[in-house]
Amino acid sequence: MASNPMQQFTVHRIGPEIKIAGVDLSFTNASLFMVISATTIILFLFLGSKEKKIIPNKLQLIAEMFYTFVAKMISDTAGSKAKPYFPFIFSLFMFVLFCNMVGMLPYSFTVTSHIIVTLIMALFIFIAVTIIGFIKHGFKYLSIFVPSGVPAVLLPLITIIEIISYLSRPVSLSVRLFANMMAGHTMLKVFGGFVVSLGILGGWLPLGFSVALTGLEILVAFLQAYVFAILTCIYLNDALNLHH
Amino acid sequence: MKSFLSLLIAIIAINTNLIAAEAGMPQLDPTYWASQAFWLILVFAILYISISRFYLPKIKDNLDNRENKIKEDIENANKFKEQSEAKVKEYAVILENAKKEVSKIHLDSKNILDKDIQAKKESIEKDIEKEILKAQKEISDLKKNSLSSIQSISGSVVSNIIENISGDKLNESSIRAIVEDISKKNMSKYL
Repeated sequence: MASNPMQQFTVHRIGPEIKIAGVDLSFTNASLFMVISATTIILFLFLGSKEKKIIPNKLQLIAEMFYTFVAKMISDTAGSKAKPYFPFIFSLFMFVLFCNMVGMLPYSFTVTSHIIVTLIMALFIFIAVTIIGFIKHGFKYLSIFVPSGVPAVLLPLITIIEIISYLSRPVSLSVRLFANMMAGHTMLKVFGGFVVSLGILGGWLPLGFSVALTGLEILVAFLQAYVFAILTCIYLNDALNLHH
Repeated sequence: MKSFLSLLIAIIAINTNLIAAEAGMPQLDPTYWASQAFWLILVFAILYISISRFYLPKIKDNLDNRENKIKEDIENANKFKEQSEAKVKEYAVILENAKKEVSKIHLDSKNILDKDIQAKKESIEKDIEKEILKAQKEISDLKKNSLSSIQSISGSVVSNIIENISGDKLNESSIRAIVEDISKKNMSKYL
């Protein structure tokens, strides 16, 4: 049935089956929308940086606004030491934002509504940040688990809590984005289904809700991309500037 | 309204039943996990490389260019401002000097004129005095002369009158003496 709100999240193969060493790596609709999002970003940045005008046109202005927005976000949360990681965080923010936004188009697929996608991004960030922390500080990086100024009695407990909170970072980071995207799209689908099933007489109320929810979802799409990027910056800050 | 609400609740119930019945998240189906991971890494790697290699440097260049241009323009503007301020000061100095010069010239010419006028005045006054003295002398001379001529005229007139009236010819010197006498007496009346 078309009104199943979870159907929009199904992944299906497009084109031939690709199997490498027994692993199915076929091109799917998820892959297609990743490619669409990435192509849109590249096209946008290409058009935004094509003409180097002193007084920018609209696209150039928007591209520069994204640049300064992310640059300011990084310098505010992680300081000047995080500058080498700016391209990664910029790419991450743009990718998540565009995947979320492309997912808002009707009949499209939301790449970030899949836990595997967000989990891989979060795990990559987690592992990279941990490696950066150990490279920059050696074994002193472990002092991140031992906050200063804690009474000796509480220290074991606090350390265990810190370790758990550190290890749960990739989970919280990925589940936050995935759950937000999935819940929003499910809700939109449910209200869309109400419009159809209540018909011309009663469908106006859920239609209004749908419109309002679409606005909210666009906000959530931006906000979750921002949260994802800024949490990455905060984790990076912990690894770069050890201040415990 | 009540029927509408009950209809809505019924529909929600049916829908939620449907969700419950067909429950199961496609996200948890591992069939395409490997594919999604593979394509995510591939697409993101390409995106990252192209952004970090091409687009970010371009945008950064452009932003830096703009900032430099603005800085340069502000510097130029400040320079021009300083120059104009210096010019204004220069102008004020020139104006001040010119004012001083003007007042000096004014004073000098006034002094020269004053001196000139003074000298001319003095010489004219001298001339006038001379003229006055001359005129006074002339007047006094005229007075003296006129007195003696009046006396002689009045003497001859008197002798003629007497001769015509009485036919006698009187001694001229006695007549003159009388005329002189009278004229001396009445001199103050006429002169």
